[in-house]
Order: sequence, then C-alpha cells, then structure tokens
Amino acid sequence: MSRIPSMPAKIELRHVTHLYLSTSRAFMAVKDINLRVKEGEFISLVGPSGCGKTTLLSLIAGLERPTSGTILLDGKPVTGSTPRVGYMLQQDYLFNWRTIEENALLGLEIQGLRTKEAEEYALHLLEEMGLADVRKASPQQLSGGMRQRVALVRTLACQPDVLLLDEPFSALDYTTKLKLEDLIFATLRRHKKTAILVTHDLSEAVAMGDRVTVLSRNPGEVRREFEIPFPIRQAPPMEARHREAFQELLQQLWKEMEVGADASEGN
Amino acid sequence: MHPKEIETIHQAYLKRAGKERRRVFVTQVLLFIVFLGLWEFLARADFINALIFSYPTKIAALFWQLLSDGSLLPHIGITVWETLIGFLLGTLLGTMLATLIWWFPFLSRVLEPYLVVANSMPKVALGPVFIVCFGPGLLSVIAMGIAISVIITTINISASFREVNPQYLKVVQTLGGNKRQIFRLVILPATIPTLLATLKVNVGLSWVGVIVGEFLVAQSGLGYLIIYGFQVFNFTLVMVSLAVIAIVATVMYQGVAFLERKLTSQFQ
Repeated sequence: MSRIPSMPAKIELRHVTHLYLSTSRAFMAVKDINLRVKEGEFISLVGPSGCGKTTLLSLIAGLERPTSGTILLDGKPVTGSTPRVGYMLQQDYLFNWRTIEENALLGLEIQGLRTKEAEEYALHLLEEMGLADVRKASPQQLSGGMRQRVALVRTLACQPDVLLLDEPFSALDYTTKLKLEDLIFATLRRHKKTAILVTHDLSEAVAMGDRVTVLSRNPGEVRREFEIPFPIRQAPPMEARHREAFQELLQQLWKEMEVGADASEGN
Repeated sequence: MHPKEIETIHQAYLKRAGKERRRVFVTQVLLFIVFLGLWEFLARADFINALIFSYPTKIAALFWQLLSDGSLLPHIGITVWETLIGFLLGTLLGTMLATLIWWFPFLSRVLEPYLVVANSMPKVALGPVFIVCFGPGLLSVIAMGIAISVIITTINISASFREVNPQYLKVVQTLGGNKRQIFRLVILPATIPTLLATLKVNVGLSWVGVIVGEFLVAQSGLGYLIIYGFQVFNFTLVMVSLAVIAIVATVMYQGVAFLERKLTSQFQ
C-alpha cells in the first residue's frame, strides 16, 4: 500500500477485527475498527467494559496481530512491538528487585540503548517528575502516584513517538489521579507525543482528549466520535473540568454510552 | 498522649516481649535437659534396654572417642560432601528442566504426565538401578540424592515460573524485550523467593536420599555408620550417627535459611 501524500496519519487502523480463540469458542473482541490518529493528537477511547479497548492497544503496540485488517504506524504496517510505541499499564508493575533508577532504565537496557546520554535523559525525566530524591529507593517505599510516575518515566525514557495509556489512573486515589492527569497531559504536550488513552472515566476522557471515541460492546465497534472544543482541549485536565460546555459534553457522552449499553442488552 | 508516656508504654511492651522470648528459650533448654536426664536415668535403672537405646553419657563418650581418634570426621565429611553435591545438582538440574519447560510450552504439555508419574514414584526404589548403573559407591549415593529432589524441584519451580504476573511480562514485551530478556529480567528475579524456599526443602530431601543411598551401598559415611552399628549391634554408634546427622543437617538448613533472608529482603 502506498503512502497517502497528504498528512499521513500517525496511527491508522483499517477494518481491524480481532478474534480470541479457545477450545470452547471464538470470541470477537473488536470488529471492523477504523481509526485515524494524527501526529500529536490525543485520543480517548471509552466504552463499556469488555468492548475490546485493551485489545486495540495490544494490537497497536504489536503485541498481537489482528485476525484481519491492517494497522499502520507512520504509514507502515505494524509487525511487532517497536521502541517507537510506549505502553502504560493500569498499574505501574515496577520490579521490586530493582531500584527506582534501574526501573526507569529498564526500557533502555532491553533495547540495548543504555548510553550515557540516554541515561542522563532518563534521570532528567525523573527529576522533571519530582522523583530525583528517590532514585536509589526501592519501589515498595513509594506511594501509588509516585510509582505510576516512575512507570511513565520508564516508558518515556525510550523516547517513543506514540503513547498508549491503558487506564493508567484507575488504580489511584482521586486526588493523585487528578494531579497525575495534569502531569501526563503537560508532559505529552511538551514532548509532542501522539497518544491513545483508554479509560472508564468519562470526565477524564473529555478533560484529556482532543477527541473521544466511543466503542460499543461485544464486539467492539466504533459507535461515535466526539470532537472536543478548543477551550477544553487546550486547558490542563483539572482546569478543563471547570470550563463551560464541559458538563454538557459529559452529558452527551454519558447518554451515548447509555444508549450503547441498552442496545447491546437488547441483543 | 505525651511522647514520654508513649515511650514508657513502648518500653514496657519491649520488656514483656523480651521476657516472653526468654521464657520460651529457658523452657526449650529445660525440656532438652529433662529428656536427656530421663533417658539416662531410665537406661541406668534398667527400665529401658540400655543395649538398644544406649544412654546420653555413653553416646557422648563414644562421640568424643571417635572424634579424638579421627575416625568420625571422614564419615561426616563424606556424607556432607555427598549431600551438598546431591542438593546442588538436584536443584540445578530441576531448575534447568523447569526453564526448558517454561521456554517450550509444547514440551511442558508433553512432559506433564511423565512428571506426575516420576513424582509419585518413591525414588529410593530406584536404588538397585543406580547401583547397577553407577557402581556400589559414591556415585550411586549422589545419584540418589539428586533423584529424590530433582522432580519436585522441576514441578515447583516451573509452577512458580508460570505464576509470575503476566503483566510483568507485558511490561518487558511493550518495551521490546524478547523471550530471553523476559526470562532474565522478570521470570528469574521474580521467582528467587520460590527458588530459595525450594532450596530449603531440597536440603532435607538430599539428606534422605544420601542416607538411604549409604544404607544400600556405602563403605563410609554417616548412613554407613548407622547400618554398621546396627549389624554389629552397637546402638551407641547408631545414636552417635543420628545425633551428628541432626546437628549437621540443622546447620546446613540454617545456612540456606540465612541465604534466603539475605537474598529476599528486597521482596518483603
């Protein structure tokens, strides 16, 4: 397939369908997904649980191959995991047997890129996230929010252009979550990353995303997309929540989810 | 509450805890002394057969004699050596097998029924086979020490490999890691606590294997001393061997337990 001359999408999904096979059944996790994410764009993916959001991220990260359809990254098909795509999981999953610093350098070590320069960049990121003092500490000594920040550094240290965020705030308490949202939002903006955020929290989806994509359930299909208006999009998440039109947008999104849920129950 | 008050309450608590610890220790020592004393008394007063059960002072005297004429140490040395080799090789082979099984899921499925059978089988029953294969000596004893621990090690370690949280593997995968890196960076370090716990179990198992092996073939070692003492009806010698085994095995076990505490401190 040739490249599209005008503004190629950073990430493009074309008719992506994925089945999970077991001896008892073939389960269709996502069906005919089409999605384009432009360079530097921040997309929120929402939908009822079991709508294949995590599956989509795994497919984009190249951890699994789609049963049918293509996934393009910078116009080239994804064939396996690549350092250009960073992934953040629901929890930090830091390695207890490594110090914070060693955890942050894990990606570089795996990719064989642990140069002096790369190390310095990672340490700089730790500093940026306010973690300079705990460099030599062990993960157990840190709070949940700090640990998730280390996980972010671990991901960013490899300098990916694309970030996949799989409910990275869901295991945190509310205050920590709000603070971390702001931090990640600002960091991704500053480093000009393209990002896809999977979340259950609709207000988080609206506050962080440039666009919100709603998936329906079983199998996951794109149901609707919401463009987030400029004033909300520009503001950091905590502030965005107080912007005019935020509540209204949230209402609309909420309704859309409800309709989706009813429709799938009616089946 | 005043910090001073808290301090006094805490001090009182520490005092109580220390007292409790001392009471436990004193009781333990007393129990041991009473046991030895009763044994000595019953044997000397002819309530129990001193020929069969011997008695503590006689055992101690024989121990001292064997130790000072230098005939006991070689036996201890050979048994400890066999046990160490059997224990290390059994653990190493078991871990290697577990690694292979983890690496090739197909192999794991193929081997599953064989492992179950091998595990159910009482390994000491293989004694005659070892004697035929390795000759009636050191090698057979070591083979027994290995045989008794290798299968259970394989099963336990590969189970712990499988139980590592898949999300940790995902972390390495998303960072572009291959299977070897997953093993080296996650599977192995994450299962160190299980590995060390297995070591502790294997110390005991290897002792069983080696002593039984010595029963069958050896011309030296603590197991041989037990059998020899039994054959010439010198039960004082049997008791000396048992006491030495209890002490040396405990020392070995404590060594591994110490290693475990050292290496797993970061996992707590």
